[in-house]
Amino acid sequence: MGILDAIQTGLSELLSHKLRSALTMLGVIFGVAAVIAMVSIGEGAKQEALEQIRQMGIDIVRVRRAATAGELVAKAQERSPFGLKYSDTDGLREVCQFAKGVIPIREVFSDVNVREKPVSVKIVGTIPGYEQATRSVIETGRFLIDRDVRDHVFVCVLGAAAKRDVFGFNDPIGKTMRIGRNVFRVVGVMKRKEVGSGSAFSAMKDLNSHVYIPITVSITDFKIHSVEAVPATAIAAEKLFRRMMVRQSRGDSPLSEVIVQVESDNATIPAASVIRSVLNRRHRGIRDYEIIIPAELLRQSWQTQRIFNIVMAAIASISLLVGGIGIMNIMLATVTQRTREIGIRRCVGATRWDIIRQFMLEALVITCFGGLIGIGLGIGGAKAISTYADWRTVVSMQAIVVSFGVSAFVGVIFGLYPAVRAALVDPIEALRYA
Amino acid sequence: MALIEVRDLKKTYGIGSVDIPALRGVSFAIEPGEFVAIMGPSGSGKSTLMNILGCLDRPSGGKYLLDGADASRLSDPARAAVRNRKIGFVFQSFNLLPRASALKNTLLPMMYSFERKDVKLARQILSSIGLGDRLHHTPMQLSGGEQQRVAIARALVNDPPVIFGDEPTGNLDTATGVEIMSIFQRLNEQGKTIVIVTHEADIAAHARRVLRFRDGLLESDSQQ
Repeated sequence: MGILDAIQTGLSELLSHKLRSALTMLGVIFGVAAVIAMVSIGEGAKQEALEQIRQMGIDIVRVRRAATAGELVAKAQERSPFGLKYSDTDGLREVCQFAKGVIPIREVFSDVNVREKPVSVKIVGTIPGYEQATRSVIETGRFLIDRDVRDHVFVCVLGAAAKRDVFGFNDPIGKTMRIGRNVFRVVGVMKRKEVGSGSAFSAMKDLNSHVYIPITVSITDFKIHSVEAVPATAIAAEKLFRRMMVRQSRGDSPLSEVIVQVESDNATIPAASVIRSVLNRRHRGIRDYEIIIPAELLRQSWQTQRIFNIVMAAIASISLLVGGIGIMNIMLATVTQRTREIGIRRCVGATRWDIIRQFMLEALVITCFGGLIGIGLGIGGAKAISTYADWRTVVSMQAIVVSFGVSAFVGVIFGLYPAVRAALVDPIEALRYA
Repeated sequence: MALIEVRDLKKTYGIGSVDIPALRGVSFAIEPGEFVAIMGPSGSGKSTLMNILGCLDRPSGGKYLLDGADASRLSDPARAAVRNRKIGFVFQSFNLLPRASALKNTLLPMMYSFERKDVKLARQILSSIGLGDRLHHTPMQLSGGEQQRVAIARALVNDPPVIFGDEPTGNLDTATGVEIMSIFQRLNEQGKTIVIVTHEADIAAHARRVLRFRDGLLESDSQQ
């Protein structure tokens, strides 16, 4: 029997039992669809993470100010009253000779008004090098330079959103803007920065609404550090009031964050332990800071993601397996039902191999058809997930080829036993079978 | 040379530890072009003989030569090829594929031979036995006589030298049975060797030679 005849025979047999064929296919359809959807979600997450690395950089260690709680508050007040402070930068710079940059960041609280209306921008005091550490790019003009910091120059650099809010579509370079009581000259605008949604970078704020000023200016002319802006308790309010009255030394000025940039992401973990010991000594054992290693967070989230992907693919594969068992079940029932037909075919000259091939082909046609529909459904499912859950999904050719291959394989494996059973039917018995 | 030759043919069925002899040493020869009826009461061994002659079963002892070749020693695929090329079967219960048309049923043996499907030939054969206007009917849509004609067409399509009929009129009324027998007679006149198992004397009367069996032995062999 020619292969085309055999396929045609298989097809006509399947078409003559449409409902049964469709139900048999269902298992394979859902199995393949699930595998494709799962793999696509995993692939999408991977792409997202890679994108974030490209945008953020993972060769940094971030030291963030943290609040102390409970009985530690009094102790902290005594031993390390200012928390993370400007002099920590110098301390870190001194010890961390390997660092490419130690960048202090001081977010301060101040009003920016455009035509009497407040604009939600964040005033950030920092130094040159910040833009490299955060992988930010200048769109026009320049970033802060050493002279701005050294000479307390009243210049500012705008994030993309801040520029839009304050100046609209006009070119702001060289123009001035009022921040609090002071007037600043705009020297640069940053390129817009997409912010990833991954957990590793959720700590990273939206940099687009930042307005960067020299850190020295943020210390001398903006007394209120943003963390203290809205005092939660009467004691905090009193503290804040007292702070505003006394002139603070520059070294004791609170910082929001210090970014330590190192050679590569591999160097972040040893760097973090050095930083931890330096700060532990400087803050006399008070943990009023937290150390964040984006590379490590990313690695962890990848690991979880990978395990998640494997588990999901395994579950999806199980449904493919169940689909295969369903096929075997139906094919076995079919063999019994078609005993007489097998006898007739054997009688007019079909060999055992002809019978095996016929039943195998029927199983294969079911699974391949189911596989194709499943691929369509899987791609659709992945698209639906991207649309409704806002997850990135990437349908890879590999996933399609593999799951189709697996479904064909399932057809062969689970079609084999029923086909052999069919071939072993004794033609004399089969012809007598009612 | 004889088309069919059996020598001391024996068949024993083992049921549990008891051996039941169905054929106890049968010898005869059938020449090309003969029309033979095999008769005998049930249990006489005629169905067993038919299965062996049709290469569906193997003898326990003795020899069966079909067209000069020893058919009792062939492998399973070789016997399938013999069934395909040298033998045409017509059964009491027609044994057609229920969902296939008359034409497709007729073409079935060709699907298992190495030649191309010859749809023209199949149409021609169906027309010659009066089914020219029933080509695309399924067995369900055909009468018993028509179904048996399709079975005859199927038996003829690979042009085998011998046609075996196992009670071919057993499920038909007398008039239709006579029609079917006249087709066999015509085929015989055209040169086909016909071997029919029956227990009806009227049907056996169409044959020119009758082999009578009793208790697994050939009782008589008469020309008529």
